[in-house]
Amino acid sequence: MTTEIYHHIRTAITEGDDEQAEKLVILALEGEFPPLDILNHGVIPGILKTGELWKNNEYFLPDVILSADAFKAAMSPLDPVLRESGDSSHRKKFVIGVVEGDMHDLGKSLVIAMLTSAGFEVIDLGIDVPRSKFIDAVKEHQPVIVGMGAYMTTTMLEMREIIAELENQNLRQNLKVMVGGVPTSQEFADEVGADAWGKDALDAMHKAMAFVDVS
Amino acid sequence: MTALDKHSFAGYLKSALHGTAYGLGFRVGHLNGIARTFGSIIGKPDFPAISAQMHDHAMTLAQAPAKRYYNDGRYFVDVMMSVFAYYDMDLPLPIGDTYNYEAEALGAKMIYGEDSMPTVDLSEPLIKKHSDLLKLKPPNPLKDGRMPYALQVMKVIGEYLGVSLGFFCSHFSLACAIRTYPLLIRDMRKNPEFVHDLFSFLTDEVLLPYGIAMKEEAGVRFALGADAWAAFPNLTPEMVEEWVAPYSADLRKKSRQHRFLMAPGTAAADYCEEDPAKINPEMMRKCFSAFGKAAGAPIVFIGMGRGQDMPLEVLQDYALENKARYYGKLPIIAALNARFVRDSTPQEIVNMVKNYINVMGREGHFLIFFANIPADTPSDHIHSAITATRTYGRYPIAKDLDAIAYEFPQRESYDQWLKSQTIAETIFSAREEKKRANVQ
Repeated sequence: MTTEIYHHIRTAITEGDDEQAEKLVILALEGEFPPLDILNHGVIPGILKTGELWKNNEYFLPDVILSADAFKAAMSPLDPVLRESGDSSHRKKFVIGVVEGDMHDLGKSLVIAMLTSAGFEVIDLGIDVPRSKFIDAVKEHQPVIVGMGAYMTTTMLEMREIIAELENQNLRQNLKVMVGGVPTSQEFADEVGADAWGKDALDAMHKAMAFVDVS
Repeated sequence: MTALDKHSFAGYLKSALHGTAYGLGFRVGHLNGIARTFGSIIGKPDFPAISAQMHDHAMTLAQAPAKRYYNDGRYFVDVMMSVFAYYDMDLPLPIGDTYNYEAEALGAKMIYGEDSMPTVDLSEPLIKKHSDLLKLKPPNPLKDGRMPYALQVMKVIGEYLGVSLGFFCSHFSLACAIRTYPLLIRDMRKNPEFVHDLFSFLTDEVLLPYGIAMKEEAGVRFALGADAWAAFPNLTPEMVEEWVAPYSADLRKKSRQHRFLMAPGTAAADYCEEDPAKINPEMMRKCFSAFGKAAGAPIVFIGMGRGQDMPLEVLQDYALENKARYYGKLPIIAALNARFVRDSTPQEIVNMVKNYINVMGREGHFLIFFANIPADTPSDHIHSAITATRTYGRYPIAKDLDAIAYEFPQRESYDQWLKSQTIAETIFSAREEKKRANVQ
């Protein structure tokens, strides 16, 4: 087996072939390729290529969904090995969730895939997340960034309250806040006091990377 | 005449005929909102008709308790009509959480927020595995979920407009609600037979019977099916043509056999590119074409997308090139982007409306739509857009719109306006009930 396998992993992820991506990563691990090399030369370039194709109007949301699936499938055998080897201990933490009353998590799933590919350790609080859970997660995990998503114009207003609560509890000194979701905008992000607005998953990843320089 | 004035069926018909004649060039008499809507589709009215999707905004403006608003059909329509009347919009569309009723009636778990629209709990989809499809039972529209509420809404709309308007969730978006969008996308690639089974079940055993109930219980002759999950880039135009258009055509055909019309596919292929740098005229045209096939309507439509960043000439050229059979240029329904309306200044909104009219309105066949006005949008933003439409959009449209003076409207607040309306007691008392409940 040669390093050609990295190319095949990349292709499987970019083309959204989850079964093939997982199979190839297992094969590479069995062939004793270094886990960090599998990640850096196979898995990550695969999902980044998808992001590039999305940016160039060559890929659309279904392609990105399938590619994110393949990325997740590839990470499933790889992640435990990376954790065991300590290769993931340096990763910056990103807490993410969809605000209370809102159940739409498509955008969040894509953002998580992109953030993971960029080297973040993502703590996913899920959907319909109460204000107190965001606050508790920030205290517990001490992330560098907290991200909030909303799909409805009524629920997005909750972001303002969460940010205010983070300030009240003096939790914003070393914390960046990002917001995103269909009804949000840069103007809204400014209005509620967020540090950044993620226009889409790729944009969110780039802005998060700019905050912490994890590249 | 405002949205709170009730029409008879004969009155509705008279308005429709008046607007049609006016649009064709018989410019006689004063147009009411319904007439103006017809005139705007057919040709040149006095000025372009305006309508909106705004259930969240109306609820917030009227400080309506969400639970009552989304469970009491008469109250919902009363509140919506009051807000349409306050803004003096032409075509009231009191339509609420259209994407939920069928899924909820099928058994989907819902989340009811204190101040927000009910929403399907997508973390627990009804169809977790393919075999779950076989367990689904077609709902009874007269008793399951909030279908009875939706039927009541349609009936009350009929009391206001003179005709009942039906609404439903189109098959693709409904499939997303019970399977989730990512799983459905995977199914489309890996197990297309399952997807065809699912779409056939939804079309034949859920939507058509629901449509028949609309007709029989609420007197609906025409029902619109919303399909935002099928918007671009959620689906490419090719995917819309493959997966959405055939089932939409099938439902249209089957509903016609029952002597009414279900028109699914509204917002399918709606061009919603979020990144201004990626906006692509060729893709816009493909989307307009796919929308025409999915919705079965000779209309050019932009809804949720960033109209403020699109080359509007592409819409206008497409509408002129693809003429409707009887009345020439395809009607353009052009929405003002929801976030743009919320986040911009009134002056920016006025400029935007002026540009819309300048590029797309001169030949007529043009309507302005607000796509889901955000809950907390300041009212003066909406008043400004409406006044701009009636300032710059008066037919024949002036050669130089910049030469026309625009005056920002000085309007009373909704509450001040409401005090003089007969509907006031209903809205104020519900608000008091909400306050009392909050205190307890």
